Amino acid sequence: MGSRESGAQRGLAKAGCLIAVGVVLLLALILGGMLVSRYNGLVTQQEKARAAWSEIDNQYKRRYDLVPQLVSTVQGAADFERSTLEAVTEARASVGRAQLPAGLPTDPKQLQAYVAAQQGLGSALGRLFAVAEQYPALKATQNFLSLQDQLEGTENRIAVARRDYIDAVRAYNTYRRRFPTNFVAGLFGFDPLAQLEAEAAERETPKVEFGFDKNKD
Amino acid sequence: MARALSGALASAILLAGLACAAEGVPANDGWVTDRAGFLGPEQERALEALMQSYEAGSGNEVALLTVPELGGQTIERYALEVGRAWGLGKTERHNGALLLVARAERKIRIEVGRGLEGNVTDSISGRIIRDVISPEFKRGNYYQGLRAGVEALHAAAGGDYAKISGGREGRRSRGAGLIPLILFVILIAVLRGGRRGRGGGGGFTPWILAAVLASRGSGRGHAGGWSSGGGGFGGFGGGGGFSGGGASGGW
Repeated sequence: MGSRESGAQRGLAKAGCLIAVGVVLLLALILGGMLVSRYNGLVTQQEKARAAWSEIDNQYKRRYDLVPQLVSTVQGAADFERSTLEAVTEARASVGRAQLPAGLPTDPKQLQAYVAAQQGLGSALGRLFAVAEQYPALKATQNFLSLQDQLEGTENRIAVARRDYIDAVRAYNTYRRRFPTNFVAGLFGFDPLAQLEAEAAERETPKVEFGFDKNKD
Repeated sequence: MARALSGALASAILLAGLACAAEGVPANDGWVTDRAGFLGPEQERALEALMQSYEAGSGNEVALLTVPELGGQTIERYALEVGRAWGLGKTERHNGALLLVARAERKIRIEVGRGLEGNVTDSISGRIIRDVISPEFKRGNYYQGLRAGVEALHAAAGGDYAKISGGREGRRSRGAGLIPLILFVILIAVLRGGRRGRGGGGGFTPWILAAVLASRGSGRGHAGGWSSGGGGFGGFGGGGGFSGGGASGGW
């Protein structure tokens, strides 16, 4: 009798065990699924920010590469105001010095210094184009017009890329801070990204026409 | 009750959202969306046919939008918004471009999708505006300016015009046969015209127009066939990959 009872108990215990294991497995599965989806979400958001950042970087580089051509064209075509040209060359040199480590910017201070140097170049170029208005002969050359188109295009692309980056970083950082994504982010080392400061000009309008100085990229 | 309320709220929000979107970015009605009224119905149909045939032949999507005013926005930002919202260009390829004209501000912008940036560079876009469109606009020849601008964009972006299959008959084919020649002439006009000076580019345009019109012959009544035929406008490709390339100008 006693042995049969204990057998039934053992059977019950077994079933209980199985249920417990099942519940744990189910929980693990749910948790694991959540973990995976949050992780993938973070990766997707980060990739968007990365794409936007590399676009900014590319356009900054493009502008940096266009400047020598512009300077030599201006020098060749007209007896141009020297101080303006020197300011552009200097601003370009300081952009060359202010380099960021590869990858996404995570250090706000580094990012600020980098952006400040870029803005310096942007406004120096803006002044150059403003001064160029007083040189009709220069303005009539196809070479100058083409460079101006390219630089205005670059300036506009920078403005667009900055807006896209700001949006992407905002989305990523918000997603990252939310529960329970914050655990996943902490576990796998998804750091918050450094945000660009949106300027008044960006909030409203990216002005491109001879407005480099107003539109401090 | 609560469910009904939340449902009503949701649909109200949706409607408000739609209304906002409609105000910011106009709905497109084909390749040509002439909100500012630069074109007569015949002219719009002719342009529409040209642009449809270009898309069919090249796969590139070049659209035209004119607006009465920009409402305080810059033309750069507005063009970008429209290009992205319309989904101009094929997905993956993003081979779209938008020619945008704002009447009140007297501004022109060519917004180039990522897939066409290599062909339609910023300086080519600038030159099309300065040397092709703007001179015609200054003389008040809006149709000629828009048409020449669109053709120059086609030439720069590359690719062929296609005969639209089914019921298009000979008239259209003859027109299509001339197009490579016309493209070539335009390309030269664009490239040379700028280099020579202001006037050079404009001289070709009437000639091209005459050629196009002559090739069409009396095919005017036929234009209606575009909407019913197999090659009508079927919406943009959904790409919308714009990152601010192109150029702006005015007249």
